[in-house]
Amino acid sequence: MLFLQHFCEMLYQSSFGTMLRESNNAFSVIESVHVLSITLLVGTIAVLDLRMLGLILRSVSVSRLARSVLPLSWSGFAVSVASGFLLFWAEAAKMYVNPSFRAKLVLLVLAGFNALIFHTTIYRRAQEWETLQVCPWRARVTAIASLTVWSGVIIAGRAIAYF
Amino acid sequence: MSLHGWFMALAHSPLGHAMQTSRWGFAVVEMVHLLGLALLGGSVLIVDLRLLGVILKGESAITIGRDMSRLLMGSLTVMVLSGIALLSEEAGKCYYSPAFRCKMALLAAAIIFYFTLHRQALLRAQSGKPTLWPRIAAIVSLLLWLGVGVAGRAIGLL
Repeated sequence: MLFLQHFCEMLYQSSFGTMLRESNNAFSVIESVHVLSITLLVGTIAVLDLRMLGLILRSVSVSRLARSVLPLSWSGFAVSVASGFLLFWAEAAKMYVNPSFRAKLVLLVLAGFNALIFHTTIYRRAQEWETLQVCPWRARVTAIASLTVWSGVIIAGRAIAYF
Repeated sequence: MSLHGWFMALAHSPLGHAMQTSRWGFAVVEMVHLLGLALLGGSVLIVDLRLLGVILKGESAITIGRDMSRLLMGSLTVMVLSGIALLSEEAGKCYYSPAFRCKMALLAAAIIFYFTLHRQALLRAQSGKPTLWPRIAAIVSLLLWLGVGVAGRAIGLL
């Protein structure tokens, strides 16, 4: 942990980190990009989750919707990780001790696990159930878990500024 | 009552007082506003990418439009209600904020466009392969909603 703390302080004190932190516009612009890319990421995942719960687009098969939506989610993920890393660079020493930031990272790992479990188990046999209007309970459980965890990521992310 | 009067009335309403004095009120409402944004962004994107012919080409544009419309109206309601609460905290500041005025103008334009020309574009996209008009409508819609978001982000900065 000491190593991580030193690493965060090194980033914080680096000239690039200081420049980002003290800039008026760069930080705000990156922050706006971060918010918009999270909208892209979570908004598209939510559409797929709501489909699996049978709330919307019942006539569209799950794998067909997933093929349309997941490239968008991945693009949003790539941009939000890149912009998020820049924001972290500027505030690294503060982020290391920020409880909200830690919660956000834990929630991101949980979201990753949830997606991994879904894709390696239930989704493997998607052709058996994907055209059902309401999906099997295991798919619905991962959908609810996904909606919950991603909401948590947004909530924890917003709370970072308040600590 | 003038528009400025309405803003002042909101700032001095019980809601405004609660938002101004509460420690976590503003933060919590902001989080709700952001959760609504994710759903609204997702629904706008899906329907407009369908109009552009990028995704779900084989599916009925009307069906996608109708389902996404429910999601959009639901999340828009959440955003407007949480937005009113956020506004009540700093109505005086927002009244003079160019970013806030810009956001409201874009929001009005986006909603009017959505219920009129965007609807027509969906009907047109339904019949056969996408022609030019549905594509233009999708791009206008994406730009209007993106503008609402960017102007909204700017309220806290300008």
